[in-house]
Amino acid sequence: MTDKIRLMLIQLKEKSYRALRTTTLDDPILYPVEYFGFHFGVTEKFLHSDGNIIPNYARVITRGLDATRREIAVSVAAEKSEEKRAFGEQMIAEIDDLLRICDSHREKIAASGNKRLYEALLRVPHDGAESFFEACLFLQICIYGLRRTGVEHLCLGRFDQYMYPFFDADLSRGVSEEELFETLEAFFVTLNYDTDLYHGIQQGDNGQSLVLGGFDADGNDRFNALSQMCMEASLELSLIDPKINLRVGKNTPDARYEFATRLTKKGLGFPQYCNDDVVIPGLIKLGYEPQDAYNYGVAACWEYIIPNCSAEVSNIKTMNFPLVVNRAVHRHLLHCPDFDGLMDCVEREIDDECASLVEQAQKKCFRVQPLLSVFVDGCIERLTNLWHGGSKYNNFGFHGLGIANAADALTAIKALVYDEKSLSPEVLLSALDANFEGYEDLRVRLKNCPKMGNGDDYADDVASRMMSYYSKHMNGRDNRNGGICRAGTGSAMFYVEKAKSCPATADGRLAGEPFSCSFSPSIGVRTDGILSVIRSFTKYDMSEIINGGPLTLEIHDTVLRNEVGIQKTAQLVKLFVLRGGHQLQLNSLDPERLRDAQRHPECYPNLIVRVWGWSGYFNELDLDYQNHIISRTAYGA
Amino acid sequence: MKGTVFSIEEFSVYDGPGIRTTVFLKGCPLRCSWCHNPEGQSGTAQIVRSPNGCLHCGACREAAVREDGVLRFTEASIRACPRGLLRVCGEEYEAEELCKRLVKNRELLAGGGVTFSGGEPLWQSEFLLECLSLLKGSLHTAVQTTGFCSAQTFERVLSKTDYVLYDLKLIDDRLHRKYTGVSNRLILENFQALVKSRVAFSVRTPLIPGVTDTEENLSAIARLLRDAGVGHIELLPYNKMAGGKYKMLLREYTPLFDEAQEPNARLSLFDSYSVKAEIL
Repeated sequence: MTDKIRLMLIQLKEKSYRALRTTTLDDPILYPVEYFGFHFGVTEKFLHSDGNIIPNYARVITRGLDATRREIAVSVAAEKSEEKRAFGEQMIAEIDDLLRICDSHREKIAASGNKRLYEALLRVPHDGAESFFEACLFLQICIYGLRRTGVEHLCLGRFDQYMYPFFDADLSRGVSEEELFETLEAFFVTLNYDTDLYHGIQQGDNGQSLVLGGFDADGNDRFNALSQMCMEASLELSLIDPKINLRVGKNTPDARYEFATRLTKKGLGFPQYCNDDVVIPGLIKLGYEPQDAYNYGVAACWEYIIPNCSAEVSNIKTMNFPLVVNRAVHRHLLHCPDFDGLMDCVEREIDDECASLVEQAQKKCFRVQPLLSVFVDGCIERLTNLWHGGSKYNNFGFHGLGIANAADALTAIKALVYDEKSLSPEVLLSALDANFEGYEDLRVRLKNCPKMGNGDDYADDVASRMMSYYSKHMNGRDNRNGGICRAGTGSAMFYVEKAKSCPATADGRLAGEPFSCSFSPSIGVRTDGILSVIRSFTKYDMSEIINGGPLTLEIHDTVLRNEVGIQKTAQLVKLFVLRGGHQLQLNSLDPERLRDAQRHPECYPNLIVRVWGWSGYFNELDLDYQNHIISRTAYGA
Repeated sequence: MKGTVFSIEEFSVYDGPGIRTTVFLKGCPLRCSWCHNPEGQSGTAQIVRSPNGCLHCGACREAAVREDGVLRFTEASIRACPRGLLRVCGEEYEAEELCKRLVKNRELLAGGGVTFSGGEPLWQSEFLLECLSLLKGSLHTAVQTTGFCSAQTFERVLSKTDYVLYDLKLIDDRLHRKYTGVSNRLILENFQALVKSRVAFSVRTPLIPGVTDTEENLSAIARLLRDAGVGHIELLPYNKMAGGKYKMLLREYTPLFDEAQEPNARLSLFDSYSVKAEIL
């Protein structure tokens, strides 16, 4: 790490840069230790609008805004529709607005004496970037401009792929690796400025995810020297942004898993692993063209999206499994002579819920976002807003909340009501209605039934059946927005929020208690261990339910204390991938340390944890989320 | 036959080669002053209380009984706890049932297998031998042992296990008796048998401040290893959380040494005997 980067980190950690912020949106801030000079000149949060997509930064950065502007002008000139011409002109106006800001900022930079930045700004963003430094600068300008128009959750996508040509060109013309590394680190540090101004449910949920590696259609590993440098920078900086996703597959070398495990050891909660061997076939089954499926990236948390050409709402609504199963139980348990009969009712309820969720989703109104549209392929040719048919894909993704709780509830009913016949449906329904008050013994019995996460087919098969109903009834539904619907296994923040209003469930969970986070065992379930959990959560064919949503596992940080632990953890991740797991979020933590941080937050200003699909500072989380993390099982203590 | 197990831990990374599941068998003839698994000492099931979340209401103690001057929780204590913090520690397994469960995870035990630990797994040697026989051919097996057993029993275990993790604590017999409660004669004899056998093994020494980490003791261990042609040792620094579990058993932790002291690994000492020492 160079002295310059060290200074940037100090400024960041002390938050001294925040004091320099002013109140106007149009005046980027120049910090004393400066590389790129585009930060947000506001002290309040922006108005927000839709995002969570991966813009085609590469195209704009390569061509420059002047050429992009000309392209739009050509489209406008040839366009007959008044409405489309107007949209094209709006695109041009927003580009002009951004150029105006850049031009005036350039003069300020000239005055500051930062010659390198000034000279780069004489070319970009008007013309295309020619070096890695210019490309990073241009990227920052794009992010600045898009955020200024209110775009939420701007994802960085396959940074190592689209930035590689600039990186490689610099190397060929003799720029040293050290210099490139410094530029990269400076870029990463700047992504961490102003995290308090981002929209998100909790601070840290800002969408700055970055994807590394991946296999192409010919089976080539696209992990390159820049990918490795990104991992190294992330390891050295230990910052929450960018959040690293690593694309892996059956041919990923062991050394890569080991390096990634070193990042896990840092306790940042990433990388998140995405398994190409499951994701790509899954996306193709959903109707994506193979070349697009091979190019997949990750949205703010875990949602698989296609960079450059898609405008998808990858988390539009939530299938609340525990609530739906509860409904099925209350409506049908008394009339079902056997468990299969009950499962048929569950399937019907899931089908109905899918229909209802899709109907609600179809009502979504989209904003017109001219500048964001400039960055999405197809919008310039069609002079159409990205959400209204400008882009190639306009699909909707749906969360799958509380799968483990719902499966555990049905499994307990199977065991006690149908197999053992030791519990009458009437008693169970009364106990659920009473939130187990007066039924404490029954609650213990329900809690002791087989659970998802022990590699036990008895419970896992119930989960697989439930997921297959969801896949069958959700995937491919028309979203009346020019696309289809996709089922997933993510929970977002709803494992806390929606659980609060969910009554008691037959797994013994009390009303209001949280569900499992994304695709993980229920909270408080004593599983046989991490190997059994992995067996349970890799049974279903995950390519059928591929909107995203990781298995989240906590490993006690003592496991990673030396090389042996790192190598074996890396092997475990590899086995997860080889078994067909689709996505894995591995956290290293010490619950005792987190408890101490709750008592003495002042001692842990930089403690980072993975929350649901992103990493944040522990101190900045609401108590509910803090408690949920502490109550997750830390394996290998 | 049946055996008593007090814990099964999946993904244990420090108990032998590769990814392993470790089975902790109850019962140990030693009473090491630094023992961090006191629930492994008694060979039979016991009731224990988890310290996290205790309201200190005293209900469990009221239901406890005093036997031979020692306070023990009862079944009534389990029911008495308003937070459900008490449980029976020690579950009986048929060897076949246990092995069936272990084999289920075979595909995930990459380059590894199963380790039997304790307690002292040789305390339940017949059960252990049956498990080792049942797992032969399907899972790699390891036994983590103090080596405190008869030569015949040890030979039988050596003929069945793929790997041994052998504990050497103190070479001076007087000190060994003082800190572990037993003589080290059998342990040192069985160590020679282990060296002569063709079974792969590693040697481990817990680094207890002022007890096992003295120059005298570590030199004696290094000399023993050099003379036996063993070039490698794993050192386990004293676990400062060792006392944590005693309260679960209503016992007090009273180590015969100064816990606050940092253990000394003396790596260069091992170097001088050409033994590669590694801290785990």
